[in-house]
Amino acid sequence: MRRKQWILHKDHLLPFLRKLRKSRSLVAPVRNSYGDTMYTEMNDLDNESIELAEQPQNSLKSFFFPQREKLCHYSVDEAVGDSAQAYRFYPSLPESRAVVYFGVRSCDMFAVMYCDTIFLGGRERDVYYDARRRNALFITLACNHPFENCFCNAARTGPYLEMGYDLQFTDLGDRYFVEVDKARGREVVQQWPQFFVPAGDDDRQAHYQAALESRGLFRRQVHVDLAVQLLDQGEEPQALLAELSARCQDCGGCAFICPTCTCFNIVDQPLSDDRGERVRTWDACTFDGFTRMAGNHNSVQIISQRVTKRFYHKLRDDVLRHGRSSCVGCGRCVGMCFGGVDIVRFIDGLCAADDKRSEKREDGHD
Amino acid sequence: MTERSIRTIDSQVMTGRAGRLRLTSKNPYVPRSAIIREITRETDSVSTFVMSFIDELENNSFSYQPGQFMMVSVAHQGEAPISISSSSLQSDFFSLTIRNSGRLTKAMHSLKPGNVIGLRGPYGTAFPLEEMQGRNLLIVGGGIGMAPLRSVVHTCCRQPDHFGKVSVLYGSQNPGELCFQSEMQSWKEAGVDCRLIVDAADNGWQHQVGLVTDLLTDEFRPQKKKDLALVCGPGIMIRFVIQRLEELGYSPENIFTTLERHMKCGFGLCGHCHCREKLVCVDGPVFRRSQLGVLEDL
Ligand SMILES: Cc1cc2nc3c(=O)[nH]c(=O)nc-3n(C[C@H](O)[C@H](O)[C@H](O)COP(=O)(O)OP(=O)(O)OC[C@H]3O[C@@H](n4cnc5c(N)ncnc54)[C@H](O)[C@@H]3O)c2cc1C
Ligand code: SF4
Ligand code: FES
Repeated sequence: MRRKQWILHKDHLLPFLRKLRKSRSLVAPVRNSYGDTMYTEMNDLDNESIELAEQPQNSLKSFFFPQREKLCHYSVDEAVGDSAQAYRFYPSLPESRAVVYFGVRSCDMFAVMYCDTIFLGGRERDVYYDARRRNALFITLACNHPFENCFCNAARTGPYLEMGYDLQFTDLGDRYFVEVDKARGREVVQQWPQFFVPAGDDDRQAHYQAALESRGLFRRQVHVDLAVQLLDQGEEPQALLAELSARCQDCGGCAFICPTCTCFNIVDQPLSDDRGERVRTWDACTFDGFTRMAGNHNSVQIISQRVTKRFYHKLRDDVLRHGRSSCVGCGRCVGMCFGGVDIVRFIDGLCAADDKRSEKREDGHD
Repeated sequence: MTERSIRTIDSQVMTGRAGRLRLTSKNPYVPRSAIIREITRETDSVSTFVMSFIDELENNSFSYQPGQFMMVSVAHQGEAPISISSSSLQSDFFSLTIRNSGRLTKAMHSLKPGNVIGLRGPYGTAFPLEEMQGRNLLIVGGGIGMAPLRSVVHTCCRQPDHFGKVSVLYGSQNPGELCFQSEMQSWKEAGVDCRLIVDAADNGWQHQVGLVTDLLTDEFRPQKKKDLALVCGPGIMIRFVIQRLEELGYSPENIFTTLERHMKCGFGLCGHCHCREKLVCVDGPVFRRSQLGVLEDL
């Protein structure tokens, strides 16, 4: 049997990352000069410090699917003499770099798996996403201390992962408990055996204990399953949606910060009369123009339903299409939205309305 | 092909110049150049563009079905989804019928034969040609929605003995906005029963006045259980036509309709064309009525 559980002593973490960096770039949570912790590409392990105690404010989305990306450039040549007019496209694919993502939170790893389904699992493979994703190695960090807005337990994406990572680290005080899932993780352990000692029964016990404790530390009770069930039953909380839509300021922040919001726009940006770039940019279904069609016909009543699509997409449509909700419970939109139009507000409102109804039903019986 | 073998090919493709070309053609975002062969003016705001790819190999390998669409690029204007309006039995060229309704389509209307546009596709589901074999077809179109239906009509005209009775009910706001008038005589000669209707008539108008649902009289009750109805037009028209077809006795299994949504990619990634859990660009644009549920948000 291939061994799947190891111990890496904390003293060995930096030397281990240095080794990994020999053949790869390193992305990890780093606290910047503003005090924000962000997943960042690290160029200098000696002077930048990895911050594993905070939730990164960004997710990994932009590393595989940048906010603005050139798809192609194009040229337009007018007909001259015998040569006909020409209009050609030249794709600009990103290079496929080897990158190790270290300290990735469970929800963020789960979000990458969701993005894989969208960008790689459909009718066409997204070659841009694929190029960035293909040589990625993920070392995740199990969450022992869920943050204020987290509800990955309810979204069933954490706090510990059962699969999907290359290596999963769990902090056991002076050492990391290391689990191997994918082949790439196994190769890393095989390549640098000096850093890894086999995990013993004590370690396994400590790991089990940490996982158990973590589950008890969530501060929010978010009823994701109930919300999914209510929407599946055809529940349409019109008043709640209208109220949340009225508060939405159309900034798109929730969609941009969300690790699983992948909608995009494609536009041409002319550089001169005869050439330009075709770029794709993140888009948000809460924006006015998202669904508008010819004749200014819009299939979405923008005032009362601006936010409907986002919540329904995550909690109903993706369940039907991909078998599970695509909210990974990271809580980022809760922290982002100053109007309080986040998914937790929606789920709470939906479930509260249901509570009221069942109370009424019970009263009726009495 | 397994995921692994695709990846191996990909990495081989990354090296070498010949390989890079392969990768280009596998990039679903890259349009291919196509040349405008001919332009027919249908109405003040609609023209039919007869197209072929510049690359001969592309022309040979290109095939499509009625109801499918292309993503059209016009220099500096981005892209828009446009249905193919020619018969799928035709191989050396195909046509797009386009209404001047915005930025890209306006630019398209300023182009001339010999000009070049970019095309990706074909995308989306088609009208069910196989299922249609031997059956009576009731084709109901409104406005520019006649474009994809024209592809069906042309296919029927070329193979009249493959289908039962074919009827076309076509409505528009006024006579000046009816497309394909110059070719309707040839549809009739091929045995197609054509009925026209406009919201508002002018002096020379010899057909009916009203909404396209007014044409859906008892005469068009399904003759056989298997008769099919195909619908395309503005959302509101689709709603009322389907309602009427169901009253006439068409089952939801035997009605096909198209949905229109904003589209950016055409192959299920950008998220713009969501309609409940469906993505109109890959699950549609042609749907069986029974797949759709309530029609309120058309
Ligand atoms: C499957 C399918 C098949 C189609 N087939 C045909 C066909 O055969 N023939 C045909 O003529 N048309 C067809 N259409 C419709 C056509 O794609 C649209 O009319 C398209 O918008 C035209 O592009 P445009 O750039 O000319 O218009 P736009 O400049 O996009 O303008 C169209 C309208 O949409 C609004 N709009 C567009 N994008 C935005 C945005 N990002 N933000 C805010 N508002 C916006 C504009 O205000 C305007 O009212 C089809 C559509 C679909 C989905
Ligand atoms: S919807 Fe909010 S909580 Fe859910 S994954 Fe997106 S940002 Fe995180
Ligand atoms: S057009 Fe992009 S998902 Fe349908």
